[in-house]
Amino acid sequence: MKPVALIAFNFVREQRWPILVLLIWVLLLAFLGLAEPNSHDDLLLIFKIVGAYVVVFSIFFGGSAIYNERRSRRILAVLAKAVSRQQYLSGLVLGVTLASVIYCFALGLTGSWTLSGVGFRISQVWFLMLCLVSACTLAGTVALTFSTFLNPFFAAGATALVLILPPLMGRIVSTRWVNVIPVYTLASAVLGSSFEVPASQLWLPLGLAVLETVFFWLIAARIFAWVDIAVSVE
Amino acid sequence: MESALEFESISKEYRGLFSRRRLHALQDFTLRVETGEIFGFLGPNGAGKTTAIHLAMGFMRSSGGCGRMLGAPFGDTRVRRRVGFLAENVALYHRRAERLVRFYGALDGMTGSHLVRRAGEALEAVGLKHEARRNVGKFSRGMLQRVGLAQALVNDPELLILDEPTSALDPLARVAVRELLVKARNSGKTIFLSSHLLSEVELVCDRVGVLHRGRLVRLGRTEDLLQAGARTEIAARGVAEDAFAGARARNGFVVFSVVSGDQRAALERVWSLGGEIVSVNPVRRTLEQIFLEVTEPPATEGDPSL
Repeated sequence: MKPVALIAFNFVREQRWPILVLLIWVLLLAFLGLAEPNSHDDLLLIFKIVGAYVVVFSIFFGGSAIYNERRSRRILAVLAKAVSRQQYLSGLVLGVTLASVIYCFALGLTGSWTLSGVGFRISQVWFLMLCLVSACTLAGTVALTFSTFLNPFFAAGATALVLILPPLMGRIVSTRWVNVIPVYTLASAVLGSSFEVPASQLWLPLGLAVLETVFFWLIAARIFAWVDIAVSVE
Repeated sequence: MESALEFESISKEYRGLFSRRRLHALQDFTLRVETGEIFGFLGPNGAGKTTAIHLAMGFMRSSGGCGRMLGAPFGDTRVRRRVGFLAENVALYHRRAERLVRFYGALDGMTGSHLVRRAGEALEAVGLKHEARRNVGKFSRGMLQRVGLAQALVNDPELLILDEPTSALDPLARVAVRELLVKARNSGKTIFLSSHLLSEVELVCDRVGVLHRGRLVRLGRTEDLLQAGARTEIAARGVAEDAFAGARARNGFVVFSVVSGDQRAALERVWSLGGEIVSVNPVRRTLEQIFLEVTEPPATEGDPSL
């Protein structure tokens, strides 16, 4: 477990600048809360937009992690130690999760402060943050799975396709398809939240997201075990 | 005694995703590195040295054959706890040297004061004790290579696999690393050293293997390889230049060389011709000569380049 945690913290450390850039958006929300404390709808809109960013970023975090490490050849020194490839991937999944937790925690704090003042329940804010973290972890893990054999650009494209397919099928075939890969469901809980209609309790998609994260992590580990990591990715 | 590193008929071929072209990086490669020796692994660029090392470390899978490292199949995670590895063109995270070495030690399961002490010792061993608090990102290439060596040493490994460990070092640092390797060998560690610096290899390695186009073309004790085919240079006076094949006049003497086994007969011939021996010097071959012999294509008749 220790190598997993070390790789995860190292991942967050290596991604500190993108995370800090993301946090600037949270600051924007805080600034708006200070400047316009009574503009209910604007605050909620910024909150939703800032929330949606983190899902997109976690796809990029997950999709580029292995590629960056292989391109810089830093992966060799790590995997030359007593670290299995499965542990290495677990570290990356945990790293993506930690990055989104840091962001969502900051967003949750700012959201609690700005939105509770205009009538949004604090518990609702934190529930939405839980949805966001789950969506980010699953989206990041899907991207990581594709990145074991694709470059970041194609990995992000394939991930977007996989995440969009269930809601598309939900519209065309049956609404049951929506929850097949529940990133869309969880993200739309944040995007669709309002003062009038609070987000419904989405425990089923949340549970599914956790299970599917494990599923994709296992697939990624199986594929990654066969990858020649020393071969140039250029 | 169990070999520290064994390659058994290993082959590795690279194939493009959409092309039929195959590149044979290693072909039927068999090698045993014995425990407690420094083994020099030589070969020109593209010979397959790094591929062999990466296979041993489990970074890639062989196309055929198998291998064992410290008794475990290649790629075994647990056995890597007893191995130190330094990659060619070392790439490390940018953080303070001491923290970086501790990070790699922790990945090997080291903890607490033992880890802190070993990280300090490893940095001291590579001459970076006073740079321990500096960020690796600001290091020169040579210093980076030394930090890389420190992270390979931090777990006090039984087997050290080093891919070009001194390529970026200045002469002083090279001597220090050479001494470090000899000290490690004397304390029972095995060192698998891939290098282009043949003079270094000649000085420290107990055995050498030369890889060329994916095949092992020469293997033996360094001393034996250097002795084999060794010649003796004889300088004489009072004999005709054409009395000995290949003889030439130098500073008023006739100088010629013979295979060491023919030395006595050559000396007797000088005396029988009424000549006088001025000097007899054994001429040792260098590893560079051996390397060139086995890796350079033989010159053929009618070769336009000649």
